[in-house]
Amino acid sequence: MELVGEEKKIQALFSELRLADNQTLPSFSATWSRAQERGLRPRRVFNLPFAVATALLICALVSLAWWSTRWQHTQQPNVVALTPSGVVPDLKPSEVVPAGGKIPAPSGSEPKKPISAVHRFKVSARLRADRLAARQEANLLAAAKKQATAISSWRSPTATLLSSANDDLLKSLPQLNESTNDLKSFLPNTPK
Amino acid sequence: MDIAELKAELETLHSASFGWALSCCRRDRGEAEDVLQTVYLKILEGKARFRGEAAFKTWLFAVIRKTAAGEYRRKLLRSLKLISGAEQPDDRASPELGPLATFENSEVQIRFQSALKSLPARQREALHLVFYEDLSLREAAEVMGISIGSARQHYERGKKRLRETLVTAEVAYGISWRRKENPGAV
Repeated sequence: MELVGEEKKIQALFSELRLADNQTLPSFSATWSRAQERGLRPRRVFNLPFAVATALLICALVSLAWWSTRWQHTQQPNVVALTPSGVVPDLKPSEVVPAGGKIPAPSGSEPKKPISAVHRFKVSARLRADRLAARQEANLLAAAKKQATAISSWRSPTATLLSSANDDLLKSLPQLNESTNDLKSFLPNTPK
Repeated sequence: MDIAELKAELETLHSASFGWALSCCRRDRGEAEDVLQTVYLKILEGKARFRGEAAFKTWLFAVIRKTAAGEYRRKLLRSLKLISGAEQPDDRASPELGPLATFENSEVQIRFQSALKSLPARQREALHLVFYEDLSLREAAEVMGISIGSARQHYERGKKRLRETLVTAEVAYGISWRRKENPGAV
């Protein structure tokens, strides 16, 4: 590289600097041997910052998983509460959760593709979550049904006051083709 | 290249390597020595391996540059840790400068070095590689890991800025000198 004018001045300044640096240059053999010594020194296997960072990461992951399950639990009752009271669909738990806990395959059979482990894990997790949600829903429905039956079979404590000895007479109708005498027999204090 | 050959090559380039390490460490001699040791250790352990893709000097300088950057980051982290704790005295002994002390005390060199320090890192590196290490711009670009166009830009801008800083410093120095000589003059 050819230097001109100003560049030569800068070059001169750098040359001076190089000369000065060379005066305090550490010897190569000393630097080399120190590097070798450093290489022989046993290294600390346990890395504290790395361990702390890993522990924090694990804690964060665990709390996230716990929070997500808690969130699912809190969401389920809200959904049931939204259904109108008294209207209890006649569903059986066996209808909600398929037998064997497996979701039936779609009718149109598609050619099977190789599934990755991650995809399989995701699918199984989703299935597990669906199964759990269905079971919870079935339990809630069964409880609601039981409550509805109890309400329908309820009787008032004053219901016995409404019954009397002449219930048969009051609650039955005379037939049209009956004779007058027979009709008279219904009347009290009348000789037959 | 076996270890004996490597050692011979490193010995030949030792002074140039130290100069480059000094520049990468903002002229901190102790840090430059540490960096150079780390570089030699990396080479000894085979962590840095010369594959012959570039000239040996270019490869070595690139390793020094990366190592210095890593050491700087580590030092920064350590200093951040120390901020919260008690201040620890610097255990690194100040190097005995000897004749350098007198040399560096010369006004021109002081101004030149402070002007160099004021330059952005890339510009300073480009100037150092070209003027101090006598590398071509292409080689400088290889060491810095940038394109030759970028290296040229850093070089040109660095020169311009260095000149401006030196002129400003000279003017300031002239004024202060005149003040010392004749306080009523300025």
